[in-house]
Amino acid sequence: MGAYVARRFLLLPLVAVGVTVLIFALLQLVSPQQRAALFVTDVKQLGALDSIIRKYGLDKPVYVQYGMWLQQLAHGDLGWSQTARMPTSQAIAAFFPATLELTLYIFVPVLLIGVWLGTQAAVHKNQFVDHFSRLFAISLRGMPQFVWGLILLMVFYGWLNWFPPGRLSLDADLFTKSPEFHSYTHLLTIDALLNGQGWIFVDAVKHIAGPALTLVLVEMALLVRITRSSMLEVLRQDYVRTARAKGLAERVVINLHARRNALIPVITLSSLLFVGLLGGVVLAETIFNFPGIGKWGAEAAVQLDIPGVTGFAMFVAALTVLGNLAADVLYAAIDPRIRLG
Amino acid sequence: MKAHRHLAVVLILALSLTLAAFTGVVQGQAVKNPDTFVYQSAGDPESLDPAWEYDTTSAATILWNIYETLIFFRGGRTDLYDPMLATEVPSLQNGGISADGKTFTFKIRQGVKFHDGTTMTPDDVKYSLLRIMLTDRDGGPSWLLLAPILGFDVQSTRDEKGNLIPDIFDRSDRAIQVQGNNVVITLAKPYGAFLSIMANWSPVSSQKFVVANGGWDGQKATMAKFNNLPKPDQMALFDKADGTGPFKLERWDRGTKTVTLIRNDNYWRAPARLRRLVLQNVEEFGPRRLALQNGDADMIALGTVANLPAVQGLPGVRVLDDLPSLGNSPALFMTYNIDSEGNTDIGSGKLDGNGIPPNFFSDIHVRRAFAYLVDRQTYIDQAYRGKGRVANGPIPFGMLGYAARGKWYEVSKDKAIAEFKEAWGGQVWDKGFKFTLSFNTGNVARQTLTQMVKEAVEGLNPKFKIDTRGITWSTYLGLYPKHKLPMFALGWAADYPDPDNFTTPFMHSTGSFSAGQGYKNPEVDRLIEQAGKEPDPKKREQAYLKLQELAYQDIPTIYIRYSVGTLVLRSWVKGWYNNPMFPEGYEYAYRFAKGQ
Repeated sequence: MGAYVARRFLLLPLVAVGVTVLIFALLQLVSPQQRAALFVTDVKQLGALDSIIRKYGLDKPVYVQYGMWLQQLAHGDLGWSQTARMPTSQAIAAFFPATLELTLYIFVPVLLIGVWLGTQAAVHKNQFVDHFSRLFAISLRGMPQFVWGLILLMVFYGWLNWFPPGRLSLDADLFTKSPEFHSYTHLLTIDALLNGQGWIFVDAVKHIAGPALTLVLVEMALLVRITRSSMLEVLRQDYVRTARAKGLAERVVINLHARRNALIPVITLSSLLFVGLLGGVVLAETIFNFPGIGKWGAEAAVQLDIPGVTGFAMFVAALTVLGNLAADVLYAAIDPRIRLG
Repeated sequence: MKAHRHLAVVLILALSLTLAAFTGVVQGQAVKNPDTFVYQSAGDPESLDPAWEYDTTSAATILWNIYETLIFFRGGRTDLYDPMLATEVPSLQNGGISADGKTFTFKIRQGVKFHDGTTMTPDDVKYSLLRIMLTDRDGGPSWLLLAPILGFDVQSTRDEKGNLIPDIFDRSDRAIQVQGNNVVITLAKPYGAFLSIMANWSPVSSQKFVVANGGWDGQKATMAKFNNLPKPDQMALFDKADGTGPFKLERWDRGTKTVTLIRNDNYWRAPARLRRLVLQNVEEFGPRRLALQNGDADMIALGTVANLPAVQGLPGVRVLDDLPSLGNSPALFMTYNIDSEGNTDIGSGKLDGNGIPPNFFSDIHVRRAFAYLVDRQTYIDQAYRGKGRVANGPIPFGMLGYAARGKWYEVSKDKAIAEFKEAWGGQVWDKGFKFTLSFNTGNVARQTLTQMVKEAVEGLNPKFKIDTRGITWSTYLGLYPKHKLPMFALGWAADYPDPDNFTTPFMHSTGSFSAGQGYKNPEVDRLIEQAGKEPDPKKREQAYLKLQELAYQDIPTIYIRYSVGTLVLRSWVKGWYNNPMFPEGYEYAYRFAKGQ
C-alpha cells in the first residue's frame, strides 16, 4: 500500500508536465494578437499590440514560451494572472479555500442523504420511497444547474432575503479583516467557531447555503440512483440470502452485508464528485457571486489568461490524481479482496 | 429535448412573474448601512496605481475619491473648471496661461495633507506627473501627458524597437518646473485641450510614500528600471494609495474583488458625509439587481440597456437614463485599402458578383449608398430601446464643435440605388458584390446593426450579398488595424472631454480608426492640428464645424449613435449629480449621503 501511494505521488510531476504541455500546445491555435488582447481591452490601446506581443514573447515558438514558463516555475513563480489581479499561486491560495468550504457543505449532505435514500429505494423497491426517490432524482437532474441556481437565488435572496450572494455580508467581512479575527484555516465557518464568533458563523453559512443547496439538489440525485442500482445488484447475491437465512436482523443485513459491498461504485462516483467540486463549481459560484476557484478558472480560460489557465489546470490535475488515489485506498479499505500494488 | 426546452421556458416565465410579485416587499424599507455606500460593478480594477490604470473601473475607483487633480470639472460641465489642488484655474486673464498658449502655471494649494499625514508640495505634483509620463507601460495612459506636453509625435517613451528614448527624461524634466509654490508646464506646442487633460490626468500622489514602497525615486538614473514594467504589482501603488482625496484606501481584497475606502477625516475640505465606500465586483446582472432591490447595494452597473426593464419600477430605486455621455458608438467604418492577402472577407477580390476589389470603398458613391441605407433612428430604437442620439459626425452632442444642424444622409432607397448605379462606372449595380461584415461576438447591438445593413443592402439588388460574421473581440482588434476588415462597427469614449479626442481617432490620417481604414485627407489633418493648438474656443469651434462638414462629404465612416448614460441607484442616495466624465457614477462620492 505504501509503495503504491508513493508511486502515485511520483506521478504528480509527470501529470503536471503533460497537462501544461497540452495547454501550451492548444494555446498556439490562438494567434499572438488574440492572446495579447488580454492586455488590450480598448481600441485606445491598440497601438501597443505589437509591443505587448514582444514584451510577453507571445510570438515566440511554443517551446521557447514553455521554456520561459518553466524557468519562472523553477523560481516558484507560476506567473501573473491578469484575471485574478495577482500571481497565479496566490490566486489558487486565495480562491481555493472558498471552494473547499463550499465543497464540504455540499459533499457531506450529498453523501449521507444520497446513500441513505438510494439504499431505502432499493430495499423498498417499487414502493413509495422508491417512486419518490426516482421522481426526486429525475426532477433534480433534469433541470440545468443554472436554472436551479437562479430559482434559489430568486426565492432565498430576492424574496426571503435569507441566503444572500457573496461569501460574507458587509459587517462580517469587515470584522473578519480586522485584527480581532484570526484566520486559522481560511474556511470561514470553521474560523468563526475557532474565534468564538457565532454571528460570523451564521453569516457565512447563510452565504454558503445558496450555492450549496443548488449543488446538493443536483448532485445528490445521481448518487441516489447509483446507490439504488448497486444495492439492488448486491441484494440479489447469494451471501445476502445466506445472511438472511442465518436469521440476521434485516438492519444488519442491509447495513453491514449489502451496503458495504454496494459502496464500490458509490466511492468511485463520490471521488469524482469531490474532485469535480473542488476543481470548481463554475455556475453556482458565478450565480451566487461566490469567490471560488471555479469562477476564476472559467474567467481565466475565457480571457486567455495563460498563466491563470495553466496554474488552474495543474492544480485540478493534481486534485484529480489525489482524488483517484483516495478512492483506490478506500476501495481496499472497504473490500479486503482488493490489493493495491 | 423539446419538452425540456418547454419546461425551461415555463420556468423562466414563472421566475419572471415571481420576481415581479416579489418586488413589492421592499416598499418602506429603512436605509441600510446609512453611512456606507455600496456599489456593485460589472468589472474590477486592474490596478490602483494612477500611473498604470487605464480602464474605467480602476479610474472610477481612485479618481476623485482617493486622488485629486489640479483642477476639476465644474458641476456637470466638462468645459468649465474649478480649482482643486491648484488654487486657481490657469487662464489668459489671470496670467496662468502664457500669451503663446504654451505655458501653464498652476499655483499649488498650501497645507494639503496626504493620507499618511505628510504635506503635499509642488515637488510631489511634478513627481506625480513625471511618474505617469515616464513609467509608461505598453497600452497605458502615459501618452495622455507625453503627447500634449512633449508634442504629439511623442506617444511613448520608447522608439519603435522598444528602446528607451535617450533624452526623454530630460525633456520631460525641463517641461515641468517647480518655481516656488508653482508648477509650470511648458508644452512643445500650444494645445487647446490641455486643461481638460489636467482635469482628468493630473492625480497627485506622495513621492515619499511611493519611494518608501519601492517605487521610482524620480531620478533620471533609475528611470529605466521602472519603465514599462511587465506586471501591475511591480508598481508601488498597485494595491496601496496615498492621495489627498476625501477617502483613503482601506483594503483591496482581490479574492472577493472588493475595494473598500474609508473617510479621510483630515481632508483639506470638510470631510465627506459617508464613512465608507464599498466597491464590489458582481459580474452577473441578476445578483446585482437583487442586491439593489434588497438595499444591499446603493448603486449598480446596469450592464446593457437590455437590462433596463428589470430595474424600472422597482420601489425605492431611481433609474436615470438619457444622461449626457461622451461616446460615439457604434459607428460603421469602411476600409479604403483592404489587405487582400488570404482575406476571405472580400470573396474573389474582384467586382464579379462574388467579391469586392480591395479598394471597393474608395469610391465615394459606394460609401454614400451605404450611408443612405442605414436607418439610424430605427436602429437606436431596436438595439438600444431608443436610448441614444442620432449621430451626424465624430464630435458628440454637448461638446464644443458639435454640429447641432450638421448635415447627414437621409434614409432613401432611391438615392442609395442611384449611388450604387454610379459606383465603379455602373459595374457595382450590374455585377453585384459580396463581402463579409463583421461584429465582435457577444455585442448584440453591433450584431443587430450588421443584420440591418445586410437586409437593407440585399433588398436593393439580388446580386448584392453581405455575410455577417461574429468574431471574438481579440480577433477583431487584431484584424482591423491591419486593413483586414472591409467594413466594421466600433465605438469610442472620451479620454478627456475635448473634440480633439474624437476628431483625431476618427478622422486624422494617423488616428486609431482612420489609419486602419486608410483614410487620409490633408485638409482634415491640417484642420485637426490647427484646432488642437488654437486657444480661442470660437476659432476652434469653427474648425471643428468644418471638420464635421468634411466628415459628411468624405464619409469614410457612417456615424450612427451618440451614447447616453444610464444610472441605477437607490432613492436614498443623495448628493449625486451627473458629469459625462463620471461613466460609473461614483467617481465623486465626496458629496454623497444616504437618507430618506
